[in-house]
Amino acid sequence: MALSGKLRNLQPERYVDWRAKRISDPIDKLQYLRRGMKDRNPPVRRPVWKRLSLGAFVIVAVSILLPAPSHRQMLPETTQKPSPETYSNIWLVEESDREQVFSNGLRIDKRFSVPNRPRSYQALDRKHGMTPSPDWRSQPAGIVFHTTESALAPFEAEKNGALKRISQILIASLRDNRSYHFLIDRFGRVFRLVEETSAANHAGNSIWADQNWAYLNLNSSFLGISFEAQTNPGEPVPTINTAQIHAGRILTEMLRSKYRIPGENCVTHAQVSVNPSNMRIGYHTDWARGFPFAALGLDNNYGLPLPSLSDFGFQYDDIFRQAIGPDLWKGIPRAESQRELEAASHHRTIAGQRRFLQERYRKLYPAFKLTGAIEETTDATTTTTNNQ
Amino acid sequence: MPQQQPQITNNGSPVGLDVGTSRIVTAHRVDNEFQYQTQLNAFVNLPYSKMTENVLSKERVLHSVQGSNIVVHGTESERFADLLRVETRRPMSRGVLNPDEPQSLNQIQKIIESLAGPARAKGQKLYFTVPAAAAGADDSLTYHEASLRQILTDFGYDVHSINEGLAVVYAELESTNFTGIGVSCGGGLCNVCLSYLSVPVLSFSMNKGGDFIDSSAAGATGDLINRIRITKEDTFHFNGHFADKTLQALSVYYEDMIQALVGSMKEAFLSAKSLPKLARPIPLVLSGGTTMPKGFRGRFEKALLASDFPIALSEVRLAKNPLESTAKGALVAALSEI
Repeated sequence: MALSGKLRNLQPERYVDWRAKRISDPIDKLQYLRRGMKDRNPPVRRPVWKRLSLGAFVIVAVSILLPAPSHRQMLPETTQKPSPETYSNIWLVEESDREQVFSNGLRIDKRFSVPNRPRSYQALDRKHGMTPSPDWRSQPAGIVFHTTESALAPFEAEKNGALKRISQILIASLRDNRSYHFLIDRFGRVFRLVEETSAANHAGNSIWADQNWAYLNLNSSFLGISFEAQTNPGEPVPTINTAQIHAGRILTEMLRSKYRIPGENCVTHAQVSVNPSNMRIGYHTDWARGFPFAALGLDNNYGLPLPSLSDFGFQYDDIFRQAIGPDLWKGIPRAESQRELEAASHHRTIAGQRRFLQERYRKLYPAFKLTGAIEETTDATTTTTNNQ
Repeated sequence: MPQQQPQITNNGSPVGLDVGTSRIVTAHRVDNEFQYQTQLNAFVNLPYSKMTENVLSKERVLHSVQGSNIVVHGTESERFADLLRVETRRPMSRGVLNPDEPQSLNQIQKIIESLAGPARAKGQKLYFTVPAAAAGADDSLTYHEASLRQILTDFGYDVHSINEGLAVVYAELESTNFTGIGVSCGGGLCNVCLSYLSVPVLSFSMNKGGDFIDSSAAGATGDLINRIRITKEDTFHFNGHFADKTLQALSVYYEDMIQALVGSMKEAFLSAKSLPKLARPIPLVLSGGTTMPKGFRGRFEKALLASDFPIALSEVRLAKNPLESTAKGALVAALSEI
């Protein structure tokens, strides 16, 4: 669990305080604090004996009176608006034919960068029945993290030549397929493969949403960053090294700063990937678990409700459960709870609500394709497991 | 050169409004900069003549014709009162509408109209400051707040009120996540607010402010209150040995006010049933026109230290712009409304 998550659970006021200190704009900070402290009483100074007796009383009372927690009780946490975002101030320090250097130490090797079809997409207004945005957008709305799932040599000095050769082959292959915008190789080097103004074929059938907008097929709307890594059979989490984590952190920091990308829109491929043919989530399962959100300066987004479930009626199955392991993402029950609430508010059964949402997706998807808002499904990433 | 009628910068964005006993200040944000406009919360009547009205219009002095009188509103009223050797009339006293002034609402309306004007956009937010109830007294602020709310609603704003001391915290204590004590010493009252992470925990007012000092000094010297006020604002400073009787009187009553403020703060904090558990010392910010004389901060801090104040303080400092910080805090509240 990220530090922020631990703090939030232990002492809500201290978490709010800690988080607010990271917001630079005074107005945003006050807005966050007023929201965070709403209906919350400040911790009160009490004599020690009072604290002890009150604590004992609370423990007994809670154990007697409160029913076991249910998904619905967790819901208020998820329905809160996200806190105001903080963005680092990062700028381009210098640029040559070979690379770009940024003020946070990021170096991007741009020798292999190629254009693809220009980025242009419509988002769906979640608050108004998923109506498409009137404007066509050209700025990325988020980041999807991937693994290459390519063959790896042992990460040893003696294998340096092989490690470099594999990287070069991988770069050429991924560039030719316009697979990702960025690749982070095993030495932590960052390569731009597809220009940021272009779409890349990294996400295929996919869904994500922030507070206001939903995005279908994220090739155009999200940037793709892939780590040169592999999930070995029997191992739950792909291994990336500290150099890759550092590179991922400063690359994410730069992109978020440049495009004002909210943290909630920085997610893994497994979180967004869907299979419309059977209406299941998790068609791709790279970073189904163990993505180092905290190390990359992000909140643990596995806790965010999945819009594919809550807004479009997708489901998951045992194969997907296996991929993500015994600890179900918190975002899944939260999304299901949202869907249940939504069903209740419309006097529908849960199954009826799911059918309604799936129908909405089935209508939107071809309509979007017809208008060109999303491209024909293109997915040049490496498939790991699927649940077809 | 008379002060010209202010140019309204109301651009339809939220407005912060400090309705003080002494001054009315508006705050707007234009191109990420805070902008302020101020008028004295006072007026004076002049006998009507066509020539006087022409001169006032030509000089763009804020005025209106009411029957056989010309009423000069706002800042310029002080200069005319001094010329005519009369007192300005005050729409407010002791932090609230002046019960002895029948023109109070009408005059405040005129001044607010000159500063903010009517709302420029539907739902335009306006936060205005209100004092806290006096320490140990029953709440008698309802009429004051409701009357101002009515005026502002009639101008078309989406109106909200904010405690004056809390507004000081919002303006000045961003660096401590809006945790600390804001003190606003105005003409009528001193307002105090302890805020914890932006939440007002304890607020109260003390009914001695600039007007108390002015009227007490005027009583002791026989001068007009208006003249005392001008002397106080232009000349007075602490730590001086005064041969001048007016300055000496001002020094005595300033000291009285500071002691009363520190005493009521100590009492209020000691008698509070539940104060927040503060992890570290907190700052105290002084604001308002009454804190402006050189040496005020030092004298206040000294009195506070001598009182064995029950809250650990990291610093006692003056607001960056003591005359405008309350309006700024109201604007910050409006901009951050949730």
